[in-house]
Amino acid sequence: MDFFLNAASAVLTTGPLAAMLGATLLGVLIGALPGLNPVMAIALLLPLTYSMDPLVALAMVAGIYNGSMYGGAIPAILLRIPGTPASIATTFDGFPMAEKGEAAKALKIACWSSAIGGIASALALMSVGPLLARATLQFGPAEYFWIAMFGMASVGVMVGSDPVKGILAAVLGLLVGTVGIDSLSGQARFTFGQPWLLGGLDLVVVLVGLYALPPVLQLAEKCDLRGLSAAQLKLASVPFRKGEVRSLLPTWGRSSLIGIFVGVLPGAGGNIAAFLSYNAARSASSEPESFGKGNPQGVAAAECGNNADNAASMIPALTLGIPGNVVAALVLSALMIHGLQPGPQLFHQNPVLVGGFMIEMLLTSVLILLVGGAAATRIFAQIQRLPGVLLVPSILVLMCVGVYVINGRPVDLWVMLAAGAAGYLLEKLNVPLAPIILGMILGPMAEQSVRRALLISRGDPTELLTRPISAVLALATLGMILWPLLRAIKRRRAKKASENKP
Amino acid sequence: MERSQDLALGLLVAGLGLAAAWQAGSYHGAGGTYPMVLGLVLALCGGLVMLRAARAKTDAPRRLVDVPANLVKALAAGVIYVALILPLGFYTASALLMLALPPVLGFRRPLYTAVVAASFVALVWAVFSLVLNKPLPAELWAASRLGG
Repeated sequence: MDFFLNAASAVLTTGPLAAMLGATLLGVLIGALPGLNPVMAIALLLPLTYSMDPLVALAMVAGIYNGSMYGGAIPAILLRIPGTPASIATTFDGFPMAEKGEAAKALKIACWSSAIGGIASALALMSVGPLLARATLQFGPAEYFWIAMFGMASVGVMVGSDPVKGILAAVLGLLVGTVGIDSLSGQARFTFGQPWLLGGLDLVVVLVGLYALPPVLQLAEKCDLRGLSAAQLKLASVPFRKGEVRSLLPTWGRSSLIGIFVGVLPGAGGNIAAFLSYNAARSASSEPESFGKGNPQGVAAAECGNNADNAASMIPALTLGIPGNVVAALVLSALMIHGLQPGPQLFHQNPVLVGGFMIEMLLTSVLILLVGGAAATRIFAQIQRLPGVLLVPSILVLMCVGVYVINGRPVDLWVMLAAGAAGYLLEKLNVPLAPIILGMILGPMAEQSVRRALLISRGDPTELLTRPISAVLALATLGMILWPLLRAIKRRRAKKASENKP
Repeated sequence: MERSQDLALGLLVAGLGLAAAWQAGSYHGAGGTYPMVLGLVLALCGGLVMLRAARAKTDAPRRLVDVPANLVKALAAGVIYVALILPLGFYTASALLMLALPPVLGFRRPLYTAVVAASFVALVWAVFSLVLNKPLPAELWAASRLGG
């Protein structure tokens, strides 16, 4: 209890509170702009956090993450354009509701559902996180090596549509992570005589390039010259009818649980949580045929599910140092920027910071109710009147200023451009980008762990497999890599069997 | 189209992996073994992608670029902008980018562009130079005035 009381006294001060409010507002705005997403926004924000207090920096990350998940519902409902990938399922019933003249009601349900999902998820993080962190204190280097391998294998296999390309991306990230001086032997690797490479490629520079440049190039390709007219964005406020909130309670409960479960799984994201919650709501409904035609339960399920994924995805990130999705990877980057090493030791060495971040995830979920009201939503919807073509140079400027201020080196700008161009091509070739970043984050931890384990065992590699927990993690990693292969064989056999049927 | 793209991707990745493994061979001890193993696994992944592409029965169309002209314009603008930041100064180069790129992409409302450019550059200046006091490449006109 002291853990949270001390953290609360640090969070409930002017700096973090102002940061949470501002960032939640900014998050809703970013989510409301199709083409911009929370990952891109947090990637752009990270360089700015170098000079901030860590709790203020994390408050901004929490606000943008939770706010943008709700913001994505605004264009999803009004225009059938998902503001973020996680709000695709919101379009199914949100847009039909808007067509029936119930846009304001759909937005209100989305706002409440997002807040409830976010609050449930933050409570799960606050209750499970400290317990899991205590359990993982028993882990040694061998276990950490396998945890890193399992995290990467699961993200590589589960993110994107092609497991081979996912694993390829993870290995590429691990290899990029070896650039620079080897911390154990002191020798320079892959530096090609360039002094600026001795410290390795800056994670945030690569991250901004990989995640911010591809959407900018896509915006330039789309070349939206008009924006939307004011008539398309008219909204009137509507109160909840009697019994309406009560009818949504089972959907909120179910979707919160689904979102939390999906959030803990490495590699699964808010879009999967939203789809699963939507399908569960339809299956549980007495009138499933009304889904897709403007059923409020559909909006509630999708929005509650995608926000319930948010804080839960931080559970493996904060306790094990294994980010389950890209935003969790960005949170770890934010911690590393401030010289903090994610993992169970973080709970003991910086309890105020970890507990504070959990409280910030909770408070920013509550703030959605405040900033997502009818009046505010009307204002946020107006952002869509800005022609997309004007966002292209604006984001380029933000990327450059953000990257330049990290080290004050012009070469970082070229690295960012190169990473962005590579990211654009890789995405088009179905190579997911998340495992690359994950590889860069986990690579040094994996390498140091395996080399330490081998030093302890005097070079005996069986040490990596003979400890019970490491053996289980090694088997889980192997299973995760073989799983898509086994699934493909099973599918091929089933296809052959159906072809042979007379 | 998908097949030839995956063949090229696999070849590129396999080549990169082998080159990394070969380079890692010149490093001593475990500091070299780890990147060498990674290079070989990367080459294996590239080989798998190539093998799958070669054995694929279908060749679905997959466009790498939707509107090539706009992509080239945006990329070129990015490269020119980064190249101009040091010689012209950060805010001058940023203002030029904000004024030049929208018309190049077909946006024909100069006043709207100018207002957005001025407001946005002023906002960035207020946040980064005024509030956060971050050192950015000096403006050419300010440097020449100081020098003169």
